[in-house]
Amino acid sequence: MSPAPPKEPAVVRRAPGRPRRRENLPGYLFLSPWLLGLAAITAIPMLLSLYLSFTDYDVLTPFTEATWVGWDNYQRMFTADPSFWHSVRVTVTFALIAVPLKLAAALGVALLLNRVFRGVGIFRGLFYLPSLLGGSVAVAIVWVSMFNRGGAFNSLLAVFGIEGAPWVSDPKYALQTLMLLAIWQFGAPMVIFLAGLKQVPVELYEAASVDGAGKWRQFKHITLPMLSPVIFFNLVLETIHGFQGFTSAFVLSNGTGGPVDSTLMYTLNLYINGFVQLDMGYASAMAWVFLVAIGFITVVLFRTGRFWVHYSDSEGG
Amino acid sequence: MTGHISRRKLLAAAVAVPVLMGTAAACGDDEGGDDGNVELSVFWWGAEARAALTEKALALYTSKHPTVTFKKTWQANQGYFDKLATLTAGGNPPDLFQIDDNYIAEYASRNVTLDLTPYKDDGRLDVSKFPESLWKYGEVDGKLAGLAFGENTQGLVFNKSLLDKFQLPSPTTGMTWEQHIAWAVTVSKTAKVPGTMDPSGSYQAFWVWLRQQGKDLYNGKELGFTAQDVTAWFELWKGARDKGATPPADVIHEGNVTDISKQLVVTGKAATSWVWANQMPELKKNTKDELGVVAFPGDPSAQWARASMYFSVFRGSKHKDTAVDVANFLANDPEAGKILGTDRGLPSNLDVRKVVADSVTDPAMKQSIAVEAELVPKFGPAPAVPLPGHSKVKTELVKAAEEAQYGRQTPAQAAEAYVTAAKSAIGQG
Repeated sequence: MSPAPPKEPAVVRRAPGRPRRRENLPGYLFLSPWLLGLAAITAIPMLLSLYLSFTDYDVLTPFTEATWVGWDNYQRMFTADPSFWHSVRVTVTFALIAVPLKLAAALGVALLLNRVFRGVGIFRGLFYLPSLLGGSVAVAIVWVSMFNRGGAFNSLLAVFGIEGAPWVSDPKYALQTLMLLAIWQFGAPMVIFLAGLKQVPVELYEAASVDGAGKWRQFKHITLPMLSPVIFFNLVLETIHGFQGFTSAFVLSNGTGGPVDSTLMYTLNLYINGFVQLDMGYASAMAWVFLVAIGFITVVLFRTGRFWVHYSDSEGG
Repeated sequence: MTGHISRRKLLAAAVAVPVLMGTAAACGDDEGGDDGNVELSVFWWGAEARAALTEKALALYTSKHPTVTFKKTWQANQGYFDKLATLTAGGNPPDLFQIDDNYIAEYASRNVTLDLTPYKDDGRLDVSKFPESLWKYGEVDGKLAGLAFGENTQGLVFNKSLLDKFQLPSPTTGMTWEQHIAWAVTVSKTAKVPGTMDPSGSYQAFWVWLRQQGKDLYNGKELGFTAQDVTAWFELWKGARDKGATPPADVIHEGNVTDISKQLVVTGKAATSWVWANQMPELKKNTKDELGVVAFPGDPSAQWARASMYFSVFRGSKHKDTAVDVANFLANDPEAGKILGTDRGLPSNLDVRKVVADSVTDPAMKQSIAVEAELVPKFGPAPAVPLPGHSKVKTELVKAAEEAQYGRQTPAQAAEAYVTAAKSAIGQG
C-alpha cells in the first residue's frame, strides 16, 4: 500500500511569478465567502473585543460611545476582583483533574476495544455515545437529577448501604460532579486513540514477545511511545477543551456558578460579567487574558512534548 | 487561450457577483411603514400561557387598528435579558418590551428606554386609574422609564394540604419573624417536613425585613443597610436552622433559584416558600396540594405595591407613538384586561382590576387577588426603583447566605463580605 510516486502529468510548468498569481485569483475568489466569514465572524469581532477590553462598554450604550479606560479592566482583574482569581482556581482544578482522568479513561477503553471480538463495533458505538450527547443541555439536566439528593445515583449507593450526598448542590462535591460528567464524555479522544493503536506495527509486539516482554512492558515500551503523538494531540485538545468548559457548569448551577461559586468556571464568570452585569468591557478583557493564558499553556505543552513525544519519522535521523 | 481566460473570468464573476450582491443586500434598509402600515416588534418573557394571552390581546388591538401588526417574540425568563441586551447592543431592540425592576434602572440610566412622561402628561398614556405608588415605581431619575404592568407584592406561600393533614394552624399575616420560625419548628417536628424555606438569600424577604427595621435596601445611590443589619438577618436564620425550622443547606440551595417549579413548597421539601403573591397560579400548576398565601412576617406595612414588570418603549423606535398606544391599550382597555387576567400581576388599572376580579374563575388567581386586596390598605410607600447593579446585589446575597448556610462562614463574616460585594456592584466607593 505504499503510495505510488506522484505522477506529474507532462504539463509545461509555468514560470514562477506573474502568471501563477493570476491563476490564484479565482482561487481567492472562491475562498472569498470563507474569507469574508472569517473577517466578519472571527477577525473583526476579536479585534473589536480587544478594543472594548480597554473601555467601560456596557452593552446597552453603543460601543462607539464607550469610554476609553486604558488598562483599568486588566488592573481590576488582577488586583481587585477576588471572583476572577476564584474562577481561575476552579478552572485550573477542573482541568488538572478532569483532563488526565478523561485521557486515561479514553486510552483504557480504547485498549480494550482494540481487540477483535464479536460485537466490538457495537461497544465502540456505545462508548462513543456519551460524547455525541456531550455538549447538550439535556445531559447536564439529567446529570443534575441523577446526582441530587434522592437521585438515581444515591439510590444505587443505598443498595450497598452507603449514604449518598447531594452531589450537585453541596459546594464540597459540585465541582467533582462536573468533572465526572466531563470524564464520562471520553468518546472523542477514545476514537482517536483507537485509530492510533491501529497504526502500531504488529511486528513490534511479535518481536517483543519473542524477546520475552510481558504485556505491561509491551504497553510501556511499545504502545505508549508509538502512541505518544496521538496522546499529545489529545492532551492539547482536551486541555483547551477543559479550560473552556461552560455548558455543564451553566446548567448545573442555573447560570450562577453556585453553590457558593464552587462551579464558577472562568468562562461562566466571563459570561456573568458580560451578560448579567452588562460589564462587557471587563468581560472582553477577561476573554483576552483567557486567550493569552490558553496560548501560553499550549506553548508549554508543545515545549514539554519534545521530551516525551516520539515521532516515528525522526527515527532514522 | 482566449476561451480559457474568459472561462476564468466567468468563474471569477460567478463567485464575485453573489458575494457583492450579498453585501449589498446586507446593507439594505428594512425601513417600512411609508404606506401607513406599522409592524411593531414586541418582546416579552413568560410561559406558553402568557404567550397565548398576549397574542390574543395584541390581535384585539389589530382588529381595532388594522394598520398595526405585530412581530411577536417571547421566551423563558432565563436568557431573556441576555437576548434583550444583545438586541440593544446590535442597535435593534424591539419597539415595545417587557422589563422588570432588576434591569429597568440599567436600561433607563443608559437612555435605552423612552421617557414616557410627556405621553403621561398629555393623556396618551393614561395612568389616572393606577395607584400612584405603582406607576411611580416606573420612574428612574425623574423619567418615566416603564409603564408598570401588573402589581404584586411579597407572598408567603404555604402548603395547606400538608398543614391540614397534621391539624397544624396556617401562618397568618402579621405574625412576627420569631413566631413564624417557632411555627415552622412545630411543623418540622409534627409533619416531618421542614416548616419553612430559609429566605436569608431572598432579597425580597431581606428587603421587607429591613424596612421593618426602619432601613431600606437602597438609600439614594447607596446601600440602605450596614454589615450589622446583614449579620442580624443571617443570625436570625442561623437560629432557625439550628432549631430545625428549615431544610439543610443543600436543599435551601435548590430553593434559592427563581424557577417557580423548583420552589420548595411545590417540590414538597418545605412547607412554605417566599415568593410573589401573583405567582400563586403558576405554583399551583406544579403541585397537587392546596396552597395558601399570606404576607411576609412582621408588619405588613413594610410591603408595597410593586410593579411586577413594566412595558418600556425603545427610545430609538420608529414607531414610538404606536408603541405607547399599544401599551396604553393593554393596560387600560377592559377587554384586553379580561384577556390578560392576572398573568402579569393584578392589572395596574383599578377599574380593569375590578372587572378581572369579578370575572376570574381560577381559584389560585382568586387567592392571589384576595391576599393583595387584603394587603392594599396596609401597604406602605413604595421604595425607589432598585439601582443599576441590582441583579448583582441579589446574586451576592444568595452567595453570602449560602456561605453561612453551609457553615463555611459565620454570619458576621458572610455579612461583611456581602456588604463589600454589594457596594462594589452598585459602584459605591
